[in-house]
Amino acid sequence: MFRRNRSKGNYAYTVARVKAKKSLLLKEEDYDKMLMMTVPEISRYISEAGYNKEMTDLAGRMSGINLLEHATHLNMAKVFSSILLSSTGELYEMVSAYLDKWDVWNLKVILRGKSYGLDAEDIREDLVPAGRLSAESLDKLIALDTDDDILASFGKTTHVSFPPEVLATYKAGGNLGVIEDFLEKVHYERLIGSIDRSSRPSHLFYDYIREEVDMKNFETILKLKAEGVYGEQVMKYIISGGRKIDDRMLATMANAEDIGSMMSEVAQLEFGEAVKEALESNNLREAVLSIRKYGRQKARKFSRLYPLSVIPVIDYMINKEYEVRNIRAVARGTESGLDRETIKGLLVI
Amino acid sequence: MALEGEAAGLAAIGAGLAVGLTGIGAGMGEKDVGAAAVGAMTEDRSIFGTAMIFMVIPETIVIFGLVVAIIALFALG
Repeated sequence: MFRRNRSKGNYAYTVARVKAKKSLLLKEEDYDKMLMMTVPEISRYISEAGYNKEMTDLAGRMSGINLLEHATHLNMAKVFSSILLSSTGELYEMVSAYLDKWDVWNLKVILRGKSYGLDAEDIREDLVPAGRLSAESLDKLIALDTDDDILASFGKTTHVSFPPEVLATYKAGGNLGVIEDFLEKVHYERLIGSIDRSSRPSHLFYDYIREEVDMKNFETILKLKAEGVYGEQVMKYIISGGRKIDDRMLATMANAEDIGSMMSEVAQLEFGEAVKEALESNNLREAVLSIRKYGRQKARKFSRLYPLSVIPVIDYMINKEYEVRNIRAVARGTESGLDRETIKGLLVI
Repeated sequence: MALEGEAAGLAAIGAGLAVGLTGIGAGMGEKDVGAAAVGAMTEDRSIFGTAMIFMVIPETIVIFGLVVAIIALFALG
């Protein structure tokens, strides 16, 4: 009765921390205020909203939108790392598996940066060292000369072995997409595999991740449909392990000639109702945004159902990621001279 | 009326159990409350007072145990 199970994880401590952090995130009225501002004003505003340290640290080296983008990424990486470091046991394992997606992101940034001939400093600006790979490990990857060395070193550190056919396709056409697709599939397979489903909250998290896979797959299908790709070609980009979208439904949706002819399948999905309107009006951007908003609401709902579980932690990380995306969207939109309503339509609040 | 013999012994054991078990119960309750309080205070030090109040709430159960123990001990005479 009194044995303290260290492998279970310190849910009370970590969840209280993320709840306190969540209360400091930007609200809708903050975005409304930011939409009325110029880029330097937005920078000042977010400095007062928790990004002060990163903005001050980087202010000597960069300015304007670059400062804002790098500071928000750096802040997010620090916050995620601190959550990971403060968690223990199975909670650590699940958070760590979830944060692995940033390793994939970082590898993409490095390979893309190298292919465009960017220098190390420019590549570093877009990195989010929130996964297993630390900033030092990422610096070592940037310092490597060829893509082969980068992929080999990445594979060694993260225990990912790239199949020869993926490497061959990448080398033949230089298409980074095949590497991205492969890593994304590996990430979700590992994440789903890392969840111990013995408790109800962990099972809910498992279902949530599988539904996220459904949302990703559905988004991929929509984008490919918009480009006129269907049939077997679509199946190449699909991540396995989804919750509602099984092989049969996937095949039907992949073979549908347009979005209109797969509406009966859409109706069976949990987020079907959320995207129905956007799909009927053939607005792809709106449909993708609706899926993301649905995902965010779902995480929020789950986090209230089981306060002492991994779900509130994941919910916070999703919200933080959207906050950073929203700040960047407002800043970029303002700089490009977009009108307020268009920018607000791009935000996921 | 003071208890004697076996009854006195049982009353003394009862008093011990009342304090001991409620102490263990309070400790188990405080484990999560304390961890959450420290976690929340790491992010916002201004909530120290509120966190402290939540922290001592499980302690009240020990007071009940102590009261029961004192009554039992009075019965011992």
